[in-house]
Amino acid sequence: MTDHLKQANILVIDDFQGMRTMLRDLVRSMGVTKVETAANGKDALALLRTNSYDIVLCDYNLGTGQNGQQLLEEARLSGYIGVSTIWVIVTAEKTTDMVMGAAEVKPDDYLLKPINQALLEKRLGKLIPRKIALSGIETAIKAQDYLAAIAQCDQQLKNQPLNPHEILRIKSELLLTVGNYEAAKELFESVLADRSVPWAKTGLGKILFHTEAYASAKEIFQQVLEENRMYMEASDWLAKTLAALGEVEQAEQVLLDAVKLSPNSAVRQKFLADTAYKNGSLDVAQAAFEKAIKVNEFSSRKNPAVYAGLAKVFSDKDSPQEALKILDRSKKEFKDNPEAALQTAAAESAVYNKLGQAEKAEAAMAGAEQLLEKLAGKVSYEVAMEMANALFKLGKKDQACDLLRNVVKNNHENTEISGQVEALFESEQLGEEGRSLVRESRQEVVDINNQGVMLAKSGEFQEGAKLLRQALENLPTNEVILMNLCGLLIGLMSKEGKNDALATEARELLDRVRELNPANKKCHDYASVLAHIMSAR
Amino acid sequence: MAQEDISFTDFIASSIHDMKNSVNMQVSALEKIAVQCRAKGDTPTFESLGLIIYEANRMNANLIQLLSLYKFGESIYPMDIAEQSIADVIEEALLQNRSIMDFKGISVLIDCDVNCHWYIDRDLVTGILINALNNAYLYTSDKIRVAATIEDGFLELRIEDNGQGYPQSMLQNGAVSANKGVNFSSGSTGLGFHFAARAARMHKNGAHQGSLIIENGGAYGGGCFVVRLP
Repeated sequence: MTDHLKQANILVIDDFQGMRTMLRDLVRSMGVTKVETAANGKDALALLRTNSYDIVLCDYNLGTGQNGQQLLEEARLSGYIGVSTIWVIVTAEKTTDMVMGAAEVKPDDYLLKPINQALLEKRLGKLIPRKIALSGIETAIKAQDYLAAIAQCDQQLKNQPLNPHEILRIKSELLLTVGNYEAAKELFESVLADRSVPWAKTGLGKILFHTEAYASAKEIFQQVLEENRMYMEASDWLAKTLAALGEVEQAEQVLLDAVKLSPNSAVRQKFLADTAYKNGSLDVAQAAFEKAIKVNEFSSRKNPAVYAGLAKVFSDKDSPQEALKILDRSKKEFKDNPEAALQTAAAESAVYNKLGQAEKAEAAMAGAEQLLEKLAGKVSYEVAMEMANALFKLGKKDQACDLLRNVVKNNHENTEISGQVEALFESEQLGEEGRSLVRESRQEVVDINNQGVMLAKSGEFQEGAKLLRQALENLPTNEVILMNLCGLLIGLMSKEGKNDALATEARELLDRVRELNPANKKCHDYASVLAHIMSAR
Repeated sequence: MAQEDISFTDFIASSIHDMKNSVNMQVSALEKIAVQCRAKGDTPTFESLGLIIYEANRMNANLIQLLSLYKFGESIYPMDIAEQSIADVIEEALLQNRSIMDFKGISVLIDCDVNCHWYIDRDLVTGILINALNNAYLYTSDKIRVAATIEDGFLELRIEDNGQGYPQSMLQNGAVSANKGVNFSSGSTGLGFHFAARAARMHKNGAHQGSLIIENGGAYGGGCFVVRLP
């Protein structure tokens, strides 16, 4: 164990030269030889991106720029560090973000200042064997082989680990990822039989949410918050649930309370801003969008939708000049991102339109259309809707309808998205037309899928595959068609024997689905069936 | 925000925060000097620095308690109940007092199974223990015992000494009634007891709640500081 510590690669992050040297000397006097230091988040991320560290000791307060918690979040979400990297935050006091955030962005430990060598050595001595045990699970997660990762967890749990709850928690997340709600539920309930643990109770709520039992989910999340109002994960889920129930005012209030307790999450601020905007609370929306931009000021994970959203708020508040200023900023921030540029251009067009500058509105839209062509229509539904909105404003109703038809077809089973499409039509006083467009578009995709499935049932896999491949050309992000085509290819191979070209095609389909929706349950089943076919003689 | 809108308690809280940072800087600097003294063989200075560092740590602990009490009051303390090794928590709390105990020739016995795990907020329980140890340090003759057992769904932590025990006036209600005002002559503010009792009560499991009692007796016949956590 001590050998593990001595051989560890350690990164020390602190903005004060004095503290940095002190921490470095502390670990050196424990016999560690590989220690590097960084003075701020930017330097630290550059190091984390290119090197692999076993232990990161990071001060919470890093001066201007990101704090230690935000840095951890960015490193984790960008994949620079995995679950086996030990991240310890050194802090004057523990903060809500540090202990109450989602599991994947929590530090492994925090040390309250002043720290000394004996304490640091003791804590690291505890953390190292725990993390070594997790490395097998991490490898499987990295390879996206979630079923193998679950098997690894079970193996670990059998050996009476030091940290059963940590492993149970990782296992529960994996079970939710692969959509095995039954096993996840059993796990949560067995933990809860001993005591009310917020992560397990929140987990039960998530299952209820995923199975659309929103009323029960709401109750569970409220219970968690009654027991522990600082448990931010539950309040985020409660807001999500309230939104799904259509209780949008309450959702806004829950999020408002949450950002008061824990203001430094850009995702939560955006959620609040979007919700408030829909509710017509423009001041709240503006403040939340602005805070979301500020929180990510020094991050590489900026979101163009936040800038477009803020521009919309300004435009609605009759401050179009402010809106244009924000969009200019967006252009600078995302100059190498065509989808962001498209979103910005569409928003710009709408603002110019409001200003009565038709020519500039047309020009911005022309730019957006060019970008859309360049991206071959592969844009997120939010961006497509932004664009459709601007097209309506320009009186280009047909083009807007084409875009929205595609949005619905690509997401034909997603009621939330079709609801948003209908709402957009409604705001243009075209409610009836919108409803029939949604209905027809959905039906069209349902028909194609049914036909494909029928062909498969009668053994005509080739014909079915041909039909669905064709459909995918126009609907590249339709999850159901992607999965059905994959199913057909698997069926074809089980009938006619394995085939490398078909297997590659099937794997690519699964990759696309995974990117669209990591929680697609069938996806993991298909992946293991596929692996089974290909490993057979 | 207008100046008058800032509440006095908020003002105190942010000042405590600032003071705590200052104390931390002082402790770090003093520790650095202490290491240099030891390296140079300057034992007398090293020893007096040890006392100063102890007092600075005690001040830091007090400030942390004040800040925690403020957060309890505002319901913004991030309570983090997680499974912890109790032996580790005790050892860490002791680590902060070890040098001063050695200095005064006090022996500390830990009576805790290594497999004793319980659900606690680590920082709060460490704070409770540091408090109890500081108290025992002042009143013991030469022995302190820290014991942990799990019984009937509660973790019981006992800090016992072989001093004269608590005066009868303090024991009257069984449960600790610490809020009897500040005694400036003895330097006893009641903060430690008040914090420990509040921190214990912050621990809940179902219908059960944590508690703090003081009594006389125990293994050494002196004062006993007993915390029970569900």
